[in-house]
Amino acid sequence: MSEFEPKIVAFLCNWCTYVAADAAGVSRFVQKPNVRVIRVNCSGMVDPSYIVKAFVSGADGVLVGGCWPGDCHYVAGNIKAMRRAPLLKKLLRELGVEELRFRLKWIAASEPSQFAKTVNEMTEEIRKLGPFKRKKKSAKRSAA
Amino acid sequence: MSRVTFDSLRWRDPPARATVTVDGGPPRVRLQMTTPREVAAMCVGRPVEELPRILSILSPAHHLCAAKALDRLFGIDPPPAAKNTREALRLALVFRHHLRKFHFLASSVESPFAEFWPEGARRGPHGLRPLLEDVMRHVSLAQEAAAILGGRADHPVTAVAGGVTRALKQEHHVRLAEIAVACRTFAERLGAYLRDRIFSLGEILGDVREIDAGPVSSLALAPDADSVVLRDGRGAEVERFASAALFDKVGLAQESWSHVPFAVLEAKGSQGQGAAPAEGLFFVGPLARLNGGEPLATPLAESERKRLVEALGPFPRFEVVAGYWALLIELLSAAEGLVALCEVEKLTGPALRTIPKAPGREGHAAIESPQGLIYQHFRADERGVVEEVRVLDTATANNALFGIVAQRAVETSLAREQGWDETKKRMELALLAY
Amino acid sequence: MNRGDRQKKKLAVYTATGCRACEQGILDLNYEVNELGRFADPVFWPYVLGTPWEALPGDVDVALFAGAIRTAADREAALSLREKSQLLVAVGACAAFGGLPGLANLADSAAPAEAAPTMDAPDDGKPAVPALEPEAMCLSQVVPVDYFVPGCPPTQNLLWAAVLALVCRGESPSRLSYAAARLPEPIAEAIASGVLPPRGTIFAGEKAVCGSCSRVKEEKKFGTCKRPYEAYQETGRCLLEQGLVCQGVATQEGCGGLCTGVGVPCRGCFGKAPAIFDPGAKMVAAISSTFDSAKAEEIAGLVDGFVDLAGTLYRYSVPAQCSLLAAPAATPDQGCDRCRG
Repeated sequence: MSEFEPKIVAFLCNWCTYVAADAAGVSRFVQKPNVRVIRVNCSGMVDPSYIVKAFVSGADGVLVGGCWPGDCHYVAGNIKAMRRAPLLKKLLRELGVEELRFRLKWIAASEPSQFAKTVNEMTEEIRKLGPFKRKKKSAKRSAA
Repeated sequence: MSRVTFDSLRWRDPPARATVTVDGGPPRVRLQMTTPREVAAMCVGRPVEELPRILSILSPAHHLCAAKALDRLFGIDPPPAAKNTREALRLALVFRHHLRKFHFLASSVESPFAEFWPEGARRGPHGLRPLLEDVMRHVSLAQEAAAILGGRADHPVTAVAGGVTRALKQEHHVRLAEIAVACRTFAERLGAYLRDRIFSLGEILGDVREIDAGPVSSLALAPDADSVVLRDGRGAEVERFASAALFDKVGLAQESWSHVPFAVLEAKGSQGQGAAPAEGLFFVGPLARLNGGEPLATPLAESERKRLVEALGPFPRFEVVAGYWALLIELLSAAEGLVALCEVEKLTGPALRTIPKAPGREGHAAIESPQGLIYQHFRADERGVVEEVRVLDTATANNALFGIVAQRAVETSLAREQGWDETKKRMELALLAY
Repeated sequence: MNRGDRQKKKLAVYTATGCRACEQGILDLNYEVNELGRFADPVFWPYVLGTPWEALPGDVDVALFAGAIRTAADREAALSLREKSQLLVAVGACAAFGGLPGLANLADSAAPAEAAPTMDAPDDGKPAVPALEPEAMCLSQVVPVDYFVPGCPPTQNLLWAAVLALVCRGESPSRLSYAAARLPEPIAEAIASGVLPPRGTIFAGEKAVCGSCSRVKEEKKFGTCKRPYEAYQETGRCLLEQGLVCQGVATQEGCGGLCTGVGVPCRGCFGKAPAIFDPGAKMVAAISSTFDSAKAEEIAGLVDGFVDLAGTLYRYSVPAQCSLLAAPAATPDQGCDRCRG
């Protein structure tokens, strides 16, 4: 009986996180193979609909990777991502998507080890949570 | 044992069906509400200020009741212009609701969809076609008034915590005044027709007019607008209590065969619903409001009330024709009230909404909706999220009364050896009166 | 009597679980716009004509179905009317997306049943009441639906547009102006020509409510999150920009900006705007774009002020448009997913 292998969709920004992911591969960091990468120009172009659609389409987890605030190639695109994430997390929580399934992470191009670490941590966290199944009815009303 | 089901009773809101079971002895009639209302499921977990818009699914008046309950929860008093606007909306809704019933009554013999042709036009034996149109024209006017005041007539939106959100423009004031006067004039005209052709001669109602639902206790709002008055089957005041205590005095009994519970007086307990009036039952509505026999504040309505007493006898009254007559009386008083309220000074002011500091934890309110007294009570947490909501709507309050009326309609029909089609019509006409 | 050779369309009107506002709106058309009897023969209308189920004919042309599917009887009614009608139209937010009854799907499943325990034993000769389905559903989650007229309740002009296009088929002498409703071309053409609009058409506008809203939109941002009981400008400035949750940006237009026009925020009763995948996600994007901060703690503080996102952003559309809640098992509707994600 095989272990549950989470499917994680990762939206990685072209200028920082994607480079870091690339470098992590080239540097042969040991990484779990559970991540499917979608390269975007900026973390700020990741509309919350993409994240929701990823879950609806069968993802067990979603990672959005962006440049550190201040380093965005488009000046403040990553701030847009930063503004969206907490509100989206709140909505996801109300609809039964556990906190750890969605993560927004700043990873610089010079931090491939961070990328590998994030991938590995997320995979294990979500493995523990199990596959994402859409609830029939919402399990929890808005608590916070 | 034989059973007949009338699965599509006309004019019922919420939808209802009646099952008649004959098992040797007298028929046993059950009026079943077939759709659930699920107030708690819709409201618990919602921000408390959203309740006026959510609860309007029960009836438009619930929107107003929820806003009033929110005033209490937030500990604020709406400005006078806002109170007047809400009351004007309530009166417009009363007018529309009662007038629709007369449309249904008139259309019970003449189909509202009969095609009109000048030569050989199907006018029916009563010449009701022009009346139907006149009635609906004024339903439309009342609806327009409600839309001006409430944003929409059904599912209104403008009543919020602390007041109303809409400032009326000059053209609205003019239009409201016009509509109010038109409605008052029409109500007088309609009254003449009803007295002449329906209440007395009974052409449409026939002997349905005599079906009697009582004696039953009545529950109505006191003039101070916060106390509730309970009268017994003889019209005598039994108790007067603050609306906050309503769910101490009124309990809800659930039966497996209806989605809507039955309201009972806790003091008397429930003896189940049966052919004989049970002491624990009560009803609400236009007749319940009039059953104290007290004079009314506005002249046309008061004259009409006196005409009813002259024709049928003193209050309390419970028979079908009194129910329809009560609708007419309230049409007049609502129109007169609207004429008085729809004045620019009454509906305008420097502020239309009192802004609260923070949500409290508990609110409640009772108002007289067109169909009868309604009551809401909610509790919210420290963030203003609804934790508990209890509503007494008229479907619940009158559930027992409707059952009694349905039972008596069937009994009188069987006594006259009528067929089931006739019986169904009698039941529909009888239920419509309350 | 027929007018010439033109046959009157057989019309059925029914409400499942909801309220009677949609049916009253259809009845009002008869008096406010044009006599329905000239081109339609209401063969099944329990609310107004008392038609029993056994009298439902097998060749209904157009069935106008309001109300959500909440009980077994609602489901049977949907199946029956679908089988016997050529065109089935979901009228009102309840039938189109689930409506307010759909909020029951957000309720705590562990909570006690709505009603107090019953006083009697259910099976001692008493008639049964229709059983509750495990969740509330919209019409298209039970049967294939041909057209949708959204709104809570639908506006008269859109109801009339639907009747014109689907029942009158271009032969009614009466027209209303649709400038306010900003109707899409296919519907306007259908009304004029008598050709049916494409199956799945929603009788509503083309864009979002903002297109019809008369409020002033500026670019400034606010660092606030407001609940509607707090102070705000009831007229003038865009409500979303003032810090309120107003769902006009994610909601299909057609109402003419009714609620925002009277000073209350839109709550989405026309369903999601075309080209939106999930209205909740869209609203998250819209709301967070008004946050005037670049600091994580400040943003967290702002977000803390929002309560009941799910119940607000999907107020009328939990069953049909909340993509993160599972759709019911059997969704027989293949051709009609414009109302869903």
